[in-house]
Amino acid sequence: MMQAAPNALAIPPNEAPTEYWDSARILALLTDNLVEIDAADRPQPALASAWQSEMNGKRWQFTLRHGAKFHDGSAASAAAVAKILGELHSGWIVRGAGDSLTIESDSPMPSLLAELALPRNAILKRNPDGILIGTGPFRVAEFQPGRLLKLAANEESWAGRPFVDGIEIDLGRSLRDQAIAFELGKTDVIEAPPQAASNGGRLRTSLPVELMALVFPANSRAQDVRLRDALALAINRKPIQSGLLRGAGEPTAAILPNWMTGYSAVFPVQADVTRARTVLADSRQPALTLSYDPRDPQAQLIADRIALNAREAGITVQVSLSGTADFSLVRIVLPSPDPATSLREAARELGVPQPLIHGNAVDDLYAAERALLDGHTIIPLFHLPVGSAAGARAHAWEPARTGDWNIPDVWLEAP
Amino acid sequence: MSIVYQPASYNHCIPHMQSRGSDGTRLRWLTSLLLASAFLPSAVSASTLSDAARQVAHKIAAVTGPGAVALEIVNRSSLDDRSVSEVRVALEGQLHAEGVREAKPDESVGSVQIVLSESVREYVWSAEIALGQDQHRVVLVSMPRPLLSGTPASAMPLAVRKTFLFAQEQPILDALVVEMPGGPRLLALDASQVAMYRQQAGHWELELSLPISHSRVFPRDLRGRLLLRHDHLFDAYLPGTFCRSSGVAPLTMSCSDSDDPWPLTTEEGGVRAFFGPARNFFTGTFSAGMGKISTAPSFYSAAALPRSGYTLWVLSAVDGALHLVDGMTDQVVRGVKWGSDLASVQSSCGAGLQLLVSESGDPGQDGLRAFEIPDRDPVAASAPVEFDGAIATLWTESNGSTAIAIVRRADTGWYEAYRISIACGS
Repeated sequence: MMQAAPNALAIPPNEAPTEYWDSARILALLTDNLVEIDAADRPQPALASAWQSEMNGKRWQFTLRHGAKFHDGSAASAAAVAKILGELHSGWIVRGAGDSLTIESDSPMPSLLAELALPRNAILKRNPDGILIGTGPFRVAEFQPGRLLKLAANEESWAGRPFVDGIEIDLGRSLRDQAIAFELGKTDVIEAPPQAASNGGRLRTSLPVELMALVFPANSRAQDVRLRDALALAINRKPIQSGLLRGAGEPTAAILPNWMTGYSAVFPVQADVTRARTVLADSRQPALTLSYDPRDPQAQLIADRIALNAREAGITVQVSLSGTADFSLVRIVLPSPDPATSLREAARELGVPQPLIHGNAVDDLYAAERALLDGHTIIPLFHLPVGSAAGARAHAWEPARTGDWNIPDVWLEAP
Repeated sequence: MSIVYQPASYNHCIPHMQSRGSDGTRLRWLTSLLLASAFLPSAVSASTLSDAARQVAHKIAAVTGPGAVALEIVNRSSLDDRSVSEVRVALEGQLHAEGVREAKPDESVGSVQIVLSESVREYVWSAEIALGQDQHRVVLVSMPRPLLSGTPASAMPLAVRKTFLFAQEQPILDALVVEMPGGPRLLALDASQVAMYRQQAGHWELELSLPISHSRVFPRDLRGRLLLRHDHLFDAYLPGTFCRSSGVAPLTMSCSDSDDPWPLTTEEGGVRAFFGPARNFFTGTFSAGMGKISTAPSFYSAAALPRSGYTLWVLSAVDGALHLVDGMTDQVVRGVKWGSDLASVQSSCGAGLQLLVSESGDPGQDGLRAFEIPDRDPVAASAPVEFDGAIATLWTESNGSTAIAIVRRADTGWYEAYRISIACGS
């Protein structure tokens, strides 16, 4: 978790979900994006109050919210926002004048609004000490890298002052430590395992917004597509989900969850060991090494179970964290309710070529996702929700179904 | 990551949680069942389903060509059995028109499994087509999912009656119905506009939108008030902003920065109180005073109960206490398990004047109950009427005999306006 320096609050590439959620949730307190995407995949105004596209989506014009200011008192003008976005995206031409900001590109940008809503596109700058300065409902009051972040209410937030005066965020706590602090009443909001969240009460789970999958790098010894195909057929997902994941999440053979696409039924998840053996018949295949993220508490047990499933199909898999892995068990965040954007982000996180999405129809999305999965360099396993919990004194605790928290709207009952 | 909040500077309304017994749970479950079985399917028109069936049949026929196929339809969407039956009939008819007929597996050239599914945005129907051992194709059809836009009016025979008026996704701050030439109009105040709706074929259709201009930032939990006026149509009060409509057609509205106090009663010239321009409560300072009382603790809402010779004011204070102000004294009542929204309504029942009080502020379910205050102790005068969401606002209407309750539905997040009245008997 955020251990190093103030700039650790930025979104690094290829991060684990834990770092993603920490960064995204803190950025949401400090900053704004031009737009937001709600759980129904509809763009909502944020720092931009209106927008329109021209030239077949190659040019977008945004009207910025009047009077919005950064925490240092400077105006969040179109010119200031254009400078920030222009530095983030060298392929865009970003101009700002008055309250109007334009973004242009050589190619159409049908998913630009969803792209702008990603945490990495938060409108953010730094002071000379490296402290983040945004336009959001809270400003940084104190930062102890890796330990503590204190935020104070931004009296001039364009969305209205938050209800609470401030927030203290303990960084780097394990889920277990968080749960203990929560039980002792020492903290108001914690991350919680989704299994715990199924108990109800003040615990909440999101829609499935994370993907657990197997990924084969280009230098894997599993070069024969039949080997990867057989492994995909051999994995019995349901017992893993009901046992090791204690019922959380959904078995899947698709990258995107059904709530985003509606078509996950066409990616079958049933194991077929007999067919896996048939696929491998008369071929000599190498033994494979499977690695996992040691920070993920469930990953090793799941990796062991996958090795066991593989053995039943005649595939030798050794689970190991040392040496070069032939494939890895990974968990990534699908960061946008917009399926095209999440598919692109998933490809980026998994290190595979970007999908080619030729249009906005569901067929275009399906074709792009199918193309990513052909060849089985990615074997999706589970879609997983994220959980969180709030104590009794925190009211209006309604985390978004996408996993984001609504901290600025939380209020405390009068003592 | 774990979070500790520092003390609040200000809060949302106070939710004095009233414990709910099994009746509340049962009522909520029954309401959900009604929505699932009766409202959702009717939201998808038969023509939409038929059109989608035609599209998917055409795509299937393009793959299979004319002939016999084994057809299976699986429903994994929120469509009910009746709708699925309609889809099946439509699909079989359209496939037949394309030359594809349904047959048993051993008599067919292939199989088609159609899954009726949905994402958060749309219904998605997928058809997996298997022709022989090797040829597998998938075709897809999608159509937008309708959003829930409201619930039918309640017909519960309770002393407190609610009548559904209107719903929208954006927070409604206040609403009122006014008789005008050409029929009644509904005025709805939100953060950006006063919208006027005209009744057309049983629905409110937008007739006019009057945008609200304001230079000050609105607070996070925005409050607002609409009041009918004699010399012009209405006034709209928002924190730090005042809007006034024109008195003649065409209807226009002008807004300006204003710290003027808000009326606490529907009559012009009544008691007014200052509303915090960056907060969600009244500051506790009155313009003319309540008798000898010119200030009170900050409060969320106030209701006037006229008595012989004086008016008893009931204030729902920010500190959670109830204040009874009679012009001479300010009696503090603590521990009353009420919500933060109060409004008084006149009726022909009981004492002729009741106090409507919100109950819990629970985002999942909330209630509204009538009380009378014969002396200084509130006495419940009705059973609560329940809502499938939290009561966000409660204002007495300009006629004084009804109130408007704005409820944020727990399931959709939409805001609904209800007219609240008192009926004699239960």
